[in-house]
Amino acid sequence: MTQKSTFLLGFGLHAGAHGDDPDWRGFWSGLVDQLDGAAEFLTLEDRFADPGQDGLDAILLANWLAPRSRNIGIIAGAPLNFVEPFHVSTAIATLDYVSEGRAGLLAQRLDQQQSVEAGRAIGALNGFPAVDQPSLDRDALAAVDVVRRLWDSWEDDAIIRDVASQRYVDGEKLHYIDFLSADFRVLGPSITPRPPQGQPVVAVSWAVEADLALARAADVVFVPVEGDLAGMVATLQSNGPGTGPKVIADLHIRPNRADATELVAAVRTSAAQGAHGVRLILPAPHRQIAHVIDTLVPFLRADVLIGPPLGGNLRSRLGLPAVRNRYAAAA
Amino acid sequence: MSKKQIILGAQFPGVNNFTVWSDPAAGSQIEFSSFRHFAETVERGKFDFVFLAEGLRVREQKGRFHELDVVGRPNTLAILTALASITQHVGLIGTLTTTFNEPYPLARQLATLDILSGGRAGWNVVTSPGAFTGANFRRGDYLPFRERYERARDFLETARSIWRGGDFYASSSHFDIAGRAGSGPLPQGAPVIAQAGDSDDGRELAAGHADLIYSRHGSLEEGQTFYADVKQRLAKYGRSRDALKILPGANFILGETLEDALEKQKAVRLQQVSPKNAIVFLEQVWNRDLTAYDPDGPLPKVDPDVAVEQLAQGRAARYDNRLETARAWRELAEREKLSIRELIIKVTGRKQFVGTPAQVAEEIDCYVQADAADGFVFAPHLTPGGFDEFVDKVIPILQERKAFRQDYATSTLRGNLALSEAWQPVAKAV
Repeated sequence: MTQKSTFLLGFGLHAGAHGDDPDWRGFWSGLVDQLDGAAEFLTLEDRFADPGQDGLDAILLANWLAPRSRNIGIIAGAPLNFVEPFHVSTAIATLDYVSEGRAGLLAQRLDQQQSVEAGRAIGALNGFPAVDQPSLDRDALAAVDVVRRLWDSWEDDAIIRDVASQRYVDGEKLHYIDFLSADFRVLGPSITPRPPQGQPVVAVSWAVEADLALARAADVVFVPVEGDLAGMVATLQSNGPGTGPKVIADLHIRPNRADATELVAAVRTSAAQGAHGVRLILPAPHRQIAHVIDTLVPFLRADVLIGPPLGGNLRSRLGLPAVRNRYAAAA
Repeated sequence: MSKKQIILGAQFPGVNNFTVWSDPAAGSQIEFSSFRHFAETVERGKFDFVFLAEGLRVREQKGRFHELDVVGRPNTLAILTALASITQHVGLIGTLTTTFNEPYPLARQLATLDILSGGRAGWNVVTSPGAFTGANFRRGDYLPFRERYERARDFLETARSIWRGGDFYASSSHFDIAGRAGSGPLPQGAPVIAQAGDSDDGRELAAGHADLIYSRHGSLEEGQTFYADVKQRLAKYGRSRDALKILPGANFILGETLEDALEKQKAVRLQQVSPKNAIVFLEQVWNRDLTAYDPDGPLPKVDPDVAVEQLAQGRAARYDNRLETARAWRELAEREKLSIRELIIKVTGRKQFVGTPAQVAEEIDCYVQADAADGFVFAPHLTPGGFDEFVDKVIPILQERKAFRQDYATSTLRGNLALSEAWQPVAKAV
């Protein structure tokens, strides 16, 4: 295809990153000021039920950051096994409206210990999965499917405001999703009209030992750079190069002065092994951000591997195609 | 001696027939620009809060999606948090159900809103109809109808323990949870709690647990009766009369003269109750397909069908006794020679303040000083500019009358509402 291939740069944060800073609002508004325009996207991981450090709700934080930024894509995390897919779907759709097409969902899988904590925080409830890996994997896949179907449950031209027929909406263009899984059922349609991107970006983190089905259902997959990167890219793109999700390698930036030359080498390796971009994971952003923005990012740019952020909606800048609404009648 | 101060809430016009979509001035119901305009306008007018209603399933009529009214809304918490980012003073109250949320996720989200707004979060606590709304949620229709207020009360107590921060724990017939919250204590201690239920249970829940009541008793006499009833319930919970504010929902129409305003009101009511909508409203009581009836003709001679399931889904059930309501409506229509549409315009109206800005300001002030209310939650009929004229013309008069603030006195919603019982955050366990 003729589409220009761009190597992508993003940042990985979690929604408790303010740490001990008592001024949470000041921390986050300062941070997004610095990140906006420096990369294509940031991810906000949710620390749901992490005892004593559960931070902010990541999707709500994303909605707060969106009006304070103009360019950066915001991919907000949710532990889908422990929340309602319906609420997640409308909240990410809202983020897409607020950010004018810069929204994504990070479908988080919690590890065993985190899942136990999350299960205790919501209680054992019908319709939620048991806390064992096969149940959690099956449920996460179902929940992502529900979230996506709800985004499609309104056709783009459902609102007609037709005075002659006295109708605001064309009921034929709203659709039940009528989704039934082993654990729960969701009827739909959404209460929120189809978001600007149609399908906001769905991202997951994946390592070889984890369930592959969820990764294949995503638009973007974050993988550890330490493993067999080329092998993972091949697995995720088993229908051939250019198919499957975009693969982004995670580079953990050390809190104390990461070395720019080393970073460039890691980015080059990632690109050579077929990754579409890198995500710089910042464990202590309050101490790292100045170094990252003033030194590391300019260095990567000077190396011409990574260009300045593109404009436009998040799907297009990640090289993802526009998607047809699955419920719309074929023209 | 200072005058009783009016509380003003601003409801974003939403999913109901009061929101006029057919007017050329009607804008988007979903774009952020509409919410931004709305919130910035009411903040310029020093309103106490923005208020959002809830609906978690698209409304249906006779098994089909209801097409005649505005439909489609953002996620309540998400849009309020976005609005927190672009405003500094106005409160942000969302209607959120205790039926299809769980305490830990919802309390944590409200804590996030309170933190990111610097203490401006509010929660209008409601319960939802089980089977209809439950179809969109994991647990489905799980909660017996009679238990919904018990769950709401337990939910609120559990949420309060989470907002305090530190270890939380609940073990009741509704909740069996534990964890440690990291975000307490919150800027307001706890978000402002509003309650809208009108039943005896609902009034008790409000008297024991709420800071605000969103009521539907808008007329002077009904308002005074309701006000007295709810305020006298406070003592047994050890709360002062000022601890709970009573705010009826209301509408307004402004004109150059009273006649001009009345003309406008007539036109707006015709837009709100379109011919087809008049039939839909009638069907809610008759519970029959009445599409064959002429909206400009007389009421049906046939009686309501009380045997079958309700045809209208996703609305608060307003008409408990259909046969009685139908009899009363027929009498009214015959006495005043009203067509179906004229009758529906009459019986579905809410409290409306109609007149010149000076008249509307005076009437609002009189209602509040006469203890029919502590203020109002106004819903304009247009999105997003429905408050523009009110803020420019009515607010200055209320300020001149010394009945409404010149500027925000504090940085939190609880502070601006002058709630005497601030929830004191309990010191965090180490």
